Amino acid sequence: MFPGFSNSSIAKTTSYKVVLPFYLYAAFSFIAATILLFVSSNSFLSHFFEPKVLAVTHAVALGWGTMIILGASHQLVPVLIEGELYSNKLAYTSFVLSAIGIPLLIYGFYVFDMGSPAKWGGRFVVLSILAYLINVAISIKKSKKENIHAVFVFTAVIWLFITVSLGLALVYNFTYTFIPHDSVHYLPLHAHIGIIGWFLLLVIGVGSRLIPMFLISKYKNTKILWAIYILINVALLSFILIFYFLPITLSFIPNILLLASIVLFIFYCFAAYKQRIRKQVDEQVKLSLLSTLLMAIPIILLFIIIAVFVKKDAINYHETIAYGFVIFFGWITAIILGMTFKTMPFIVWNKNYHKRSSMGKTPNPKDLFSNIVFKWMAVAYLLGFAIFLIGLLIPNSLLLKPGAALLLIAAVLYNWNVFKMLYHKPKKND
Amino acid sequence: MINVKTNNELKCNIALADLYNVDDPEIGLNVVDLGLIYELNFDEETNMLTCTMTLTTEFCPMGESITDNVRQSLQQTCGDYNINVNLIFEPPWSMEMISEEGRTFLGR
Repeated sequence: MFPGFSNSSIAKTTSYKVVLPFYLYAAFSFIAATILLFVSSNSFLSHFFEPKVLAVTHAVALGWGTMIILGASHQLVPVLIEGELYSNKLAYTSFVLSAIGIPLLIYGFYVFDMGSPAKWGGRFVVLSILAYLINVAISIKKSKKENIHAVFVFTAVIWLFITVSLGLALVYNFTYTFIPHDSVHYLPLHAHIGIIGWFLLLVIGVGSRLIPMFLISKYKNTKILWAIYILINVALLSFILIFYFLPITLSFIPNILLLASIVLFIFYCFAAYKQRIRKQVDEQVKLSLLSTLLMAIPIILLFIIIAVFVKKDAINYHETIAYGFVIFFGWITAIILGMTFKTMPFIVWNKNYHKRSSMGKTPNPKDLFSNIVFKWMAVAYLLGFAIFLIGLLIPNSLLLKPGAALLLIAAVLYNWNVFKMLYHKPKKND
Repeated sequence: MINVKTNNELKCNIALADLYNVDDPEIGLNVVDLGLIYELNFDEETNMLTCTMTLTTEFCPMGESITDNVRQSLQQTCGDYNINVNLIFEPPWSMEMISEEGRTFLGR
């Protein structure tokens, strides 16, 4: 006999009832965000502190990016920590609070009313993230093993809690001034803690496990992942230090650290790709790998913004908005578009076919959505992203509407496939 | 070539024939050609069939589903035994464990 573990070492999957509402909400938010982008595209040629820009940014960052990551991570936390999710009730609580809070917050920004809607929206979002933080913390504490991926996730959730708490403080600061400067002053701090501390750490922490898994690659390199973890956190902490105590022109230092971490992650993905067992790589993984390369664009733009600031002692708003656009509609959206169609089919497959082997061959998870629609979605997305970005950088308002329209088409096609999976029913002979 | 250890060739072949229908859903290849089944041990004294198997990765989110499906398949073909699925990760699964048919399927 072989020596070994018992079945208890298998990751316990979280119920689809917990996870799918997050996916559905995120899909609607993607449509809402692209509609807002389309109707208010000209606002993107003004200052980044513009009500409609703030509304679109929060629709993408919270409604789209954070909601789907929360959903996916409730599913993936057991896989990452080799244990179980502590509480489904806390997960539902987190969903309901965010589902109510996010539209209130977006409405508050859109009409620029920092009174009740924005404040209640912010409160609900903070409580939602607190519920998520407690759930992840107890799940990790109860799990038998610790690993680098769980450390990434837990740290990212702490940064997310700091981000949303600071965001709520900035909303309050409009009506009850209690911090030294106005809220606009703290916007770069709020944005970068969210982008680097939450999105970057989480995407790398989860991606470093999922990408080799989906490539069927045996590549492992914990040392590189620890180096990336340290680089990102030191970059963020040094940015906070510079923001408060040193000239902001020194921001190139954390930027270099971030660039180094991204180069290391690209190397990690490439090594996993080279050692893959499955020769053919599917479109979803290709789009996710492309998003890894897209991470480098905002870093380059940030170097340009800092260089312009040093030279002219002024911020170029077009480049700053382009920087945010590349992060939210480029890197984050690309990885979500790819990974949705790697993770959601498994959730739906597990729901429908978990115990059906006795009924013969079942469809594969990749058969649960239309690959043709996925390809058209990817084309519309990449074209829309490129056209809108060029429109921001030239700048030219004539390019923004068609760019936004293509992104809206991508969002509609994305929803089409999400609903196709959601309403999938096994055929009688499956 | 399929390399599954067993102490009863005849019953092992019957069991394997149905296990060819159990796929790793991500790869789309069955668990036998993928080399996930290490051993089928038929203990006549305790009336226990122990299937020793592995997964392509220790953190496979489909692990529960795959092992459940293996158990169901064995219950169908060897229902007169009590079924025990013993999941191990030592020795780890590797490319060399995939059959010729499996390698062709994966484009290798």
